[in-house]
Amino acid sequence: MAKIEIEIDGKMVRAKPGEMLISVTDREGISVPRFCYHKKLSVAASCRMCLVDVEGAPKPQPACSTPISEGMKIHTQNEKSKSSQKAVMEFLLINHPLDCPICDQGGECELQDVAVEYGSDVSCFSEGKRIVADNDIGPLIQTDMTRCIHCTRCVRFGAEIAGIMEMGGTGRGDHLKIEPFLTEGVTSELSGNMIDVCPVGALTSKPFRYELRSWQMNSTSTIARHDLVGSNINAQTYKGNVKRVVSGDNDAVNETWISDRDRFSYEGLSHENRLLEPQIKIEGQWKEVGWHVALDYAVKGLTSNILNNHQSDQLGVMASKTSTVEEFYLLQKIAREIGSENIDYRLNIKNLDNTAKLESNIKLGGLEGVDHALIVGSNPRLEQPMINHRLRKASLNGTSVDVINSMKFDFNYQLNSENIIAPNQIASTLAGVLSSVLASVSIELPDYLQSIKVSKESASIAEKLNNSDNSVIVLGEHVVNAENSATIVNLIAQIAKHTNSTTLNLSTTANSLAAELTGFVPGSKGMNVNAMLESDLKAYILLDIYPEYDFHHADKAIDALNDKDNFVISLNGFKNDIVSEYSDVILPIAAFYETSGTHININGDMQSFAASVVAPGESKPAWKVFKVLADLLKLPGFNYVDSTQITEEVSHQAHNNHLHNENIDLSITSDNINIIWQQSPYSIDALLRHSGSLQQTKIGKLNFAYMNASVAKDLGVSADSKYLGVPVVITDAVADRCVFVNANKATQTGGES
Amino acid sequence: MISDQAKKQIDAWVAKYPEDRKSSAVMEALKIVQAENDNSLSAESIQDVADYLGMPGIAAAEVATFYENYNHKPVGKHVIRFCHNISCMLNGSDDLISHLEDKLGVKTGEVTKDGLISVKKVECLGACVGAPMFQIGDQYYENLTAEKIDEIVDGLK
Ligand code: SF4
Ligand code: FES
Ligand code: FES
Repeated sequence: MAKIEIEIDGKMVRAKPGEMLISVTDREGISVPRFCYHKKLSVAASCRMCLVDVEGAPKPQPACSTPISEGMKIHTQNEKSKSSQKAVMEFLLINHPLDCPICDQGGECELQDVAVEYGSDVSCFSEGKRIVADNDIGPLIQTDMTRCIHCTRCVRFGAEIAGIMEMGGTGRGDHLKIEPFLTEGVTSELSGNMIDVCPVGALTSKPFRYELRSWQMNSTSTIARHDLVGSNINAQTYKGNVKRVVSGDNDAVNETWISDRDRFSYEGLSHENRLLEPQIKIEGQWKEVGWHVALDYAVKGLTSNILNNHQSDQLGVMASKTSTVEEFYLLQKIAREIGSENIDYRLNIKNLDNTAKLESNIKLGGLEGVDHALIVGSNPRLEQPMINHRLRKASLNGTSVDVINSMKFDFNYQLNSENIIAPNQIASTLAGVLSSVLASVSIELPDYLQSIKVSKESASIAEKLNNSDNSVIVLGEHVVNAENSATIVNLIAQIAKHTNSTTLNLSTTANSLAAELTGFVPGSKGMNVNAMLESDLKAYILLDIYPEYDFHHADKAIDALNDKDNFVISLNGFKNDIVSEYSDVILPIAAFYETSGTHININGDMQSFAASVVAPGESKPAWKVFKVLADLLKLPGFNYVDSTQITEEVSHQAHNNHLHNENIDLSITSDNINIIWQQSPYSIDALLRHSGSLQQTKIGKLNFAYMNASVAKDLGVSADSKYLGVPVVITDAVADRCVFVNANKATQTGGES
Repeated sequence: MISDQAKKQIDAWVAKYPEDRKSSAVMEALKIVQAENDNSLSAESIQDVADYLGMPGIAAAEVATFYENYNHKPVGKHVIRFCHNISCMLNGSDDLISHLEDKLGVKTGEVTKDGLISVKKVECLGACVGAPMFQIGDQYYENLTAEKIDEIVDGLK
């Protein structure tokens, strides 16, 4: 669009016609005060703080809702602007308690800053101020609603971004109150952003309440590692502790929002359960020792168990999905240098011969531009909140969304269709889609599709994909352990190919893309995790693994690791009894925020971060531990001084020697009851499981095995009993022949069916 | 719980708006539901209306608490809606409200023991020309005085 010229404070400025004045002044660095305006929210124009003088207009105009036009002359600093801003400020402060000394927002408060700059030091108002009673709206957000200035940012955030309107303005005039309705409080997975958008101290962080002043803390920018997005965050630290996390800006990644999971997980860092000292087990007794002793012991163990006997292929290494690029890379390098390719991170997969490859070839920003999306096996809102946010934006712009899931979830946007079927049947539905797609482009059906009957649902899903120019197929986590999971993935790849759709693979989360890129997968001569567990290996190095949560075959894993003849080196951030039971050495390692490292997100961005704080006690960043261990083992090529040298090396030699199953086999049509085992969103890694406030939320308490009445009958459970250790909920929201488990605790079985 | 009959009435309003704008009928729907619940709305019934119209509970609550037409506490058979906005206030509504309260032995917002009458302060009813004034049911009573109020109230059955 052709640009036009306007004059602001005597300076000529070019801008797009129709742009709001405030975005022009913001871009030009001209300061205009505001409260209700927020660049990512709709314009409310209710606070009137942004009044400026527009020549020709009789009254001052709100910059946030005045579209510019050619030749406009604006004065932001003249008497007319200044006096109206001052008057508005006076009104805004009428009911504000001015209790800055006891307010958590003090020092980082927009109201305070603007009042100092634009307000007056006397007020004509001498009457009593109103007081607003507070409700408890949940464990994350502290309210002090007497301070609220009714800017409605939090209300609009809920309605527009979080997608559930939880806050609202009840009453009118000076009885207006911003509050949630009824008693549930605020439950959204993105709720913490309300704290960031609130310009005053009405909504502040509850875990951080009365802790510190903003100016006492240092802020370091870092990357959140709980999902595939790698949201940019700022860790605010004081005397070596992370005290609060706020969102960072990065339009290509998380825009300006972050999930509650990313915001509040830091609480786990100071949990009493942190592992602080290296320990070795001598004759069954744990002994805390110095690093030298522990590492010597580890090297000795490896030497006597495998190296001396030339049994280097008897080493198995495994790591948690949340590990950094550097950690994955160094650990696999140690294994390969020693001579073992038994390397794996896919601990939660039931059958690793039944996995297939699906690329993600669309970026987060691109998601907003698709015109159709098909989601298979995912509850994106809770599993990948920031990706769901993009999908929601797309949907608000008219994108249609079809879903094939095994349970009805609470989507915060309209679905075109929601097909609720057991994982067993997803393959046949997708086969129907593929068959219908191929028929429409007159491609001959391959043998495996010959006998497939195309259901009405499949046909309509196919039609949507066919008719759209820019569609995406999103694959989630729920089908990874389906009996025909590889088939499902391969069908999706085929459908995408023939409908020119992009694909987004959300089937494994956290930093698993880094695991793939660094070659943290079994090599051609190596074993995958499940094979390792069956092979009585002589030695293991385990990075941040908590078996009762992490392994699909948890019982088997614990048994295998407990074998008396093996030597297990565990690196963990938190104490865990089962780990103590089977390990011979436990090395305390730095958690999130305490180590430098790199996360790879779904865009393929390698986002590196520095440590925000030093790890507590004797714990050390795992990459440094690996480096020293490698040196002690006299392995070549570990002369790194800092972690950036590692990432450089990684980008030069990306392994990807993974064997994938490319079969499509539609013959598996068993009638077994399918179990989808999902660790609840706030329990997917050790740090989250130790973050107290998150665990108190509604999402944190998700610990249910959902099934319908007939499945419950078959399994012999009822609404007040437990299934696999998880309380049963009987509901028709789940597909027949299927149990959907959202567990926030470990069970003895870890999801074994 | 919204009765089937109320649902029918609400549907008639919903039909007047575009299909994806069901929530436009919220004011009428609240009125209908209030009418069948002794003229007041509980939080649950507001939520019921919201659910029925497919809108967030808080959005319906915003409407229900904004307008004076909706009651959130039990009310009497007759609700005296006394204007206390600027014109009426300048013409002595404060004193008259006190008078009325004394006469009935209740405060604004309360119901007389016999359940017959309750008093509610409301904002300008657009009858400033006859200030001070109040409304009972559909009827406006203007240019009020203490005597006139006594007479009107005594006549309420
Ligand atoms: S609570 Fe904060 S964000 Fe919400 S309306 Fe009040 S001042 Fe604005
Ligand atoms: S910022 Fe413009 S009116 Fe509030
Ligand atoms: S002020 Fe009472 S009717 Fe207008």
